[in-house]
Amino acid sequence: MKRKKWVRLDNASNIFLAAMTDVDTKVFRLSASVQDPVDSELLQQALDKTYEQYALYHSVLRRGFFWYYLEESNLNPKVTIDNKPPCSKLYHFDKKDLLFRVAYFQSRIHLEVFHALSDGTGALWFLEHLLSEYVMLRYPENFEGMNEREIDILKQQLYDDSFVHYFHNDKKKNFTEAAQSAIQTVAKVGKVAAIYGKKATRYVFATNAHVQKIKRVYQVRGKKTPDNRTHVIELDMPVKDILLLAHNQHTSLTIYLTSLFVDAVYKTNENQQIGETIAVSVPVNLRQLYPSESARNFFCTIRLEYTYGQSGNDSLKMICLSLQKQMLNQLSHESLERKLNKLIAFEFNPFIRIIIRPIKDVVLKLINYSNNKNLTLAMSNLGKVSFPEPIDQYIQQLYFQTSAVRPQFSAISHGDRLTVCFTSPFVETNIQKIFVQSLTKAGIPVTIAVNKVINTMLGSE
Amino acid sequence: MRHCYNCKVDIKGDHNTCPLCHESLLLENNSAEQNPYPDIPLRFNKQQVVKLLIIVSIITIGLWFIMEGLSSHQITPLKLVLLGVMSMWLVVLIIIRKRRNIAKGIVYLIISLSLIGVYFDCLDGFGGWSTTYVVPIICSFAIIAMFIAVRVVRLEVGDYVLYLLVATLLGLIPALFLLFDLVTQPIPAMVSVGLSGVMLILILVFWGSDILGELKKRMHI
Repeated sequence: MKRKKWVRLDNASNIFLAAMTDVDTKVFRLSASVQDPVDSELLQQALDKTYEQYALYHSVLRRGFFWYYLEESNLNPKVTIDNKPPCSKLYHFDKKDLLFRVAYFQSRIHLEVFHALSDGTGALWFLEHLLSEYVMLRYPENFEGMNEREIDILKQQLYDDSFVHYFHNDKKKNFTEAAQSAIQTVAKVGKVAAIYGKKATRYVFATNAHVQKIKRVYQVRGKKTPDNRTHVIELDMPVKDILLLAHNQHTSLTIYLTSLFVDAVYKTNENQQIGETIAVSVPVNLRQLYPSESARNFFCTIRLEYTYGQSGNDSLKMICLSLQKQMLNQLSHESLERKLNKLIAFEFNPFIRIIIRPIKDVVLKLINYSNNKNLTLAMSNLGKVSFPEPIDQYIQQLYFQTSAVRPQFSAISHGDRLTVCFTSPFVETNIQKIFVQSLTKAGIPVTIAVNKVINTMLGSE
Repeated sequence: MRHCYNCKVDIKGDHNTCPLCHESLLLENNSAEQNPYPDIPLRFNKQQVVKLLIIVSIITIGLWFIMEGLSSHQITPLKLVLLGVMSMWLVVLIIIRKRRNIAKGIVYLIISLSLIGVYFDCLDGFGGWSTTYVVPIICSFAIIAMFIAVRVVRLEVGDYVLYLLVATLLGLIPALFLLFDLVTQPIPAMVSVGLSGVMLILILVFWGSDILGELKKRMHI
């Protein structure tokens, strides 16, 4: 029998395993609403076709003595009706299950992915492929006139649009290549690895040297949902209107939404103190700067903060300005290079390699705990997504959400609609209320949808 | 679609109050748009409290039992009952926790049940019956059990071969009992050692390369 291929999990992805809890499952969900109710059989066919193309998604996660590793499996994914709370657990240490799930409900198709497998950008590639296959199966009349060649060209166009150089078929179908960590592929292993190995000690021990004086960072508290499910509040609005608001403040959509979020948190804090700091974690896709074909995790996070009561004028404008400045600083080429080097050093660090896995887990848990202490919120923006024309018209909206240990929002836009999904481990909705009300006060038409998290809402007891 | 005049938002789903500000909604037009999030019943609610209580009681019983064991070497009926209860908890917990990995579960059971046997023997003033009978018999039958089990649930070689190896190595331990004269009757220990020895050779001959492959993967630095 052919022995199964395996690739060890990179250090950066290891943090998701260490940080995973019953509340924060480290699963994220990308959804699309299509024109008509979803046909589950066709979706299954589309999934089968897509799955064949993505060797990475065949992985199961196993535990070794020193590392976790991704192992190729013979499992086949099954499309299910959406019968679990959003972002439910996907990985169990003793189970050999796939690290993603495809579900549907009404006219929505959901793709849920465990973060150790891939990041939002990587998963978006899979979703785009899945949706295209589905649309072509569901509405064959629109693709009937096309011959094989034209369909091939259409598919190629889709891939060129979104996959950059990613779509070298042979590469992606090869498990070992597909599952290789992005850091490894960027660092090109070998010679470079040796150099970074030497650098590693410098970076690891240098981290504490220039840490700023730690301010007390505000933490949102609340009542946890009874069965640890993620509380989702989904906002749907016209992207044009909100862009206009952002431009009025001379800032980007991401900064504008983040500032509103910071402001909403401050306003809901009952015992506001002078000098209170609210900090937000924002992921940055490293593929924009370092072209990588890898669908594995390839991002770093930056941290933006705002301290109240410093200027005497804590208007939204001030917050936008401050966050914008910090963001520009941290997105500079040198700053990102430094972050990437740190990631590489972390990956090739010889000391980390010889530590057994359970100890690594404990250490990473501690690192994660101290990181969490310095964060109030998190946000993520996947930006604008579009499909080639004959397919685009069947996709109505896209949604993006992730499991959360703290209040968080995830944004994505398609066509003329922007969706913002708040996720939170808490039952309370004060922050989201203030956020929405400040948008509607500015005249933006907002439609919301919420999942039910307590028994009184679910209509029992 | 329903509308909240306080928040000025449209709301999908059949909510009677606004999910944001909790004001009641005027149900002027009843055509509530379907909620894209299905109602999913709570998976559990107070189970965590129950779990915690059980863990605390097990620890309490365990501590009391150990203290009692240290203070006297007499076996009372109460101790017997407690030992039984604790063994039951242990076996059930191992089976539940390792239910997805049957071979590993068997290895855990061999070790824990053997230790319970030896501990019990010690409480009774060490007559040697645990080393004579209990441990060798558990080891011999566990190897056979594992062979049957992995066939019944059709595990892949890579998933159980290391545990099979550990089980056979454990089966060799009764050789030490023979060596240090801890047995009153040598046959069970000899059977266990003989069976394990033969198994060990078979495993290494047939699955040697699988074992190497698995070790390489799991011990990869």
